[in-house]
Amino acid sequence: MLNRKSIHSLTGKLIMAIGTLMVAGSTVFWYFLFSHQERELIQTSIKYGHSFVDLVKKSTRYGMLTFQELLIQQTIEAIGSAEGVIRVRIFDRKGKIAHSSDKQDIGTILDIRAPYCQNCHSPAEASRKIPTWTITKDSNGYRVLNIVQPIYNEVSCHTSACHAHSRDQRVLGLVEANLSLSLLDTGIKKQGIAITVYVAIFLCVISVVLCTILWNFVTTPVNMLTKGMERVAGGDLDYHLDIDTRDEIGQLAQAFNAMTSDLKKAKNELVEWGNTLEKKVQEKTEAIQRAQAQLIHSEKLASLGRMAAGVAHEINSPLTGIVTFGHLLLKRFPPGTEEHDDIQVIIEQANRCSTIIRGLLGFARASAADKAHTDINDVINHALNIVKNKADFFNIKLITDFDPVLARVKADPSQLQQVFLNLIMNAADAVEGKGTITIATRTLRDDTADFVEVEVRDTGPGITDENLEKIFEPFFTTKPVGKGTGLGLAVTHGIIQDHGGKIFIKTKLGEGTSFFVRLPAFREG
Amino acid sequence: MVKGKVLVIDDEEIVRISCSRALRPEGFDVQLARNGVEGLGMLGKDRFDVVLTDLKMPDMDGIEVLKQVKEGWPEAEVIVITGYQTVDTAVKSIKLGAFDYVEKPFTPDKILAAVTAAMEHKKK
Repeated sequence: MLNRKSIHSLTGKLIMAIGTLMVAGSTVFWYFLFSHQERELIQTSIKYGHSFVDLVKKSTRYGMLTFQELLIQQTIEAIGSAEGVIRVRIFDRKGKIAHSSDKQDIGTILDIRAPYCQNCHSPAEASRKIPTWTITKDSNGYRVLNIVQPIYNEVSCHTSACHAHSRDQRVLGLVEANLSLSLLDTGIKKQGIAITVYVAIFLCVISVVLCTILWNFVTTPVNMLTKGMERVAGGDLDYHLDIDTRDEIGQLAQAFNAMTSDLKKAKNELVEWGNTLEKKVQEKTEAIQRAQAQLIHSEKLASLGRMAAGVAHEINSPLTGIVTFGHLLLKRFPPGTEEHDDIQVIIEQANRCSTIIRGLLGFARASAADKAHTDINDVINHALNIVKNKADFFNIKLITDFDPVLARVKADPSQLQQVFLNLIMNAADAVEGKGTITIATRTLRDDTADFVEVEVRDTGPGITDENLEKIFEPFFTTKPVGKGTGLGLAVTHGIIQDHGGKIFIKTKLGEGTSFFVRLPAFREG
Repeated sequence: MVKGKVLVIDDEEIVRISCSRALRPEGFDVQLARNGVEGLGMLGKDRFDVVLTDLKMPDMDGIEVLKQVKEGWPEAEVIVITGYQTVDTAVKSIKLGAFDYVEKPFTPDKILAAVTAAMEHKKK
């Protein structure tokens, strides 16, 4: 049953339109077919009616010529008793019924003004062709065919022995037959019902077939498309329409699938772009933070350097006095005396002050570097020669893994020596006197330049994240008071930066730490 | 016998005294000046074999003193006394004609060696 929604659907509208057209077409077809058939049957009946009346005339001709009225009457009665014949009558020229299959009618004179007679006798009708038949209805509602034929005066009529008719008369009387069309009416009615039933069945079958076709080719794909649209609108871009026909619906489905695919691609690109953007923003933020930290660090170093320079200058002069007068005093006491030894302590401690100040002044050295083509392997070997005889290194295994064809760098060897001494001493402190320190050198190459990399690796406890952040800050130290100034790595960092290189750390708690120093390799030309 | 005449120019009294105490016992005639102007004034009145001058001084710095000494008294040898932070300047002063430089804090032997070497160079 069609509900309100179905009526407004495409299928509903199509079924309604096609159904209405088909019902109207069938009705018109049915009406014209039926009318035509009925008309043909009536014409055939009239034709046979005239033949019947002609037969009556011919059957009674002999009786009329020989004036045997009984024979005529008997013939009329015999014919009138046949099936479908209601009545057969013969009228004379004055309108009196001379013979009839219904004997009671005989002798009756029809008034010429009666409607029945006016068919032929009205003055208006005189000018047109006289109808030879009419159709009326009987008491049962069935049609009755009335055929009338005139009996014309012939030579044999006015020359026969009885001389009943004069020669001047044109029409001598009429033969009338009333024939029942009840069989025809019943047949037509039955045929009408049958045709109606056939048309109705045809309409039903056509409707079912049409509905099935529309359901399969329109409603189902359209519903799938609608569902697909809803899914896509809901964000499901993986939805794929399985419509594989070559018609317009199939093309629509293909266009839909292509659209969904494009949408998905676009969405993925958007998401990826968003992620990339986020990553880029993060990278940039980190770079800015690093640069800011670097700037703060450099600023700290610079101000510390300025302060150290000022302090060093002020302290160096009094130290000069202490050292000079210490030495002058020393000459007054021969070696071995208690005074001599005491003065020696004063001089040594003054010298220690001087050394500390030299360390501080590492920051103040802006352009002191005397850069030359330097072999890093040589620099490291010098640094190792200085440390390896120290007591701190007796239980440390020193391993070198040098690149024999290491590229040269443009650097100040004494400053680099300070760098590697700092790193090796720190490694020795990290392994606490026993462990392994590995020093490796290698040449690295990237798209734009070559680098010399030095790795100083220890088997110490590693560096915590917290300490890693502050490791290059001046005065940051994890060593006991009096052992480290916290300046070593800060100075190292400054020197490496001054050489256009970089220093970085890889560390794992419990496994050890690697310090990497990278310096740009020198290229001839 | 006087080994030579030495002029010490330094704004720090302890440095001036240190130089004087290191050199006088070894037979040098040591005169002291508190700044460059005073030192140049003394150079105008007397002849000096060696001039010891600090680099970092108020008013007139050691480089200016060096330039004027080398211009007015080219026969005098100049030894520059420097703090660690002014090593670059010390190198620069060598290029400008200074004979040597001595870093603070110095020992009496070191300053004596430098002055002795300057005297020997002057005699050649």
